[in-house]
Amino acid sequence: MYNDKNSQKIVDYIQNWTRKHSIWVLAYGTGCGAIEIPPTMTSRYDSERLGIRGAATPRQADVLLITGYLTVKTLKRVIRVYEQMQDPKYVIGFGSCTINGGMYFDSYNTIKVLDKYLPVDVYINGCMPRPEAVIDGFVKLQKRIGEGRATGAKHYKENLEWYRANQKKIIPNWVMPEYNW
Amino acid sequence: MKELKDNIINRIKANFKDATEKNDYNYNRLDFIVNKETIPSILFYLKDEMGFIHLSHISCVDWLEEGELEVVFIVWSPKDKIKVFVKTRIDRNNPVLDNIDMIWRQANTYERELKEMFGVQFTGLVAPEEFILEDWQGPPPFRRDFDTAEYAEKTFWHRPGREDAKNVRETISNRDGEEIPDFAKKYER
Repeated sequence: MYNDKNSQKIVDYIQNWTRKHSIWVLAYGTGCGAIEIPPTMTSRYDSERLGIRGAATPRQADVLLITGYLTVKTLKRVIRVYEQMQDPKYVIGFGSCTINGGMYFDSYNTIKVLDKYLPVDVYINGCMPRPEAVIDGFVKLQKRIGEGRATGAKHYKENLEWYRANQKKIIPNWVMPEYNW
Repeated sequence: MKELKDNIINRIKANFKDATEKNDYNYNRLDFIVNKETIPSILFYLKDEMGFIHLSHISCVDWLEEGELEVVFIVWSPKDKIKVFVKTRIDRNNPVLDNIDMIWRQANTYERELKEMFGVQFTGLVAPEEFILEDWQGPPPFRRDFDTAEYAEKTFWHRPGREDAKNVRETISNRDGEEIPDFAKKYER
């Protein structure tokens, strides 16, 4: 009975429903976009009513927000942070810099396309996205989690070699630990 | 202010024969252009004898056409409320300058930055390893002959743009039946 396909569906439904109502965001900002997170979290836009709140360490967090431009130096740290996070984990690309480079399209030191290096579940466009847009992105992510479509972490595990090759292409001096999850 | 400036100019010119002053600002700024050998002594003189005890900044300007790098030292006198720019030109292909961190310890940070961003070599620099850029293998990125767009093109992926949005103004005017005004036509891509 427990291996029945329909009962697995019910378990998945309940699991996704619970996961989507407690999105804990890692308190980590990479670019200028981190300045939009305090108004989103505090009383004016109060995202905690949707279950979105900050988490102190990567191992407690569910969502990694890439807020804005990402230099090669920061990408190293972001990869380490992402690999330390426990399942379930999701990535939100925030601002136009993570989508196509934004105003840093010709910069020598920032990456242009985030999803070559990390699996992105939801993109929020805008430079900067206002708190309403941020909350809208979180609601989109909740919808995807509820439907079971936010499978970025699974995709990352399956295609780890492809992601590693991309990451090592721009980080020549690779001195990072391999996490065996 | 004028007497103060004249006093500074007279004292500097009496002590340093190669110093040329440039006094074309009517606020509290004064420029001196010196040879690169004079840099430590003029900064030492400004700090010890004339009260310019604060080093505000060390900056660099790339004069590509003249084949020179211009290093600018900005010092500030809290007593007289005057800032003095000490400028020197060095050869672009062999940019060597005397280290001044025995005058101000904090100059080390600026010198490391200039070494990394412009390739200016300071003799006897403390901690000359990488500073801000990690794993950088290209030329110094703030020099003007470094083409950042070309470097980014060959190093990073770029997301291709939409085919139907090449000329946004024309697309919008066709869609909405608007006429493009004449002054806007010269900005067309």
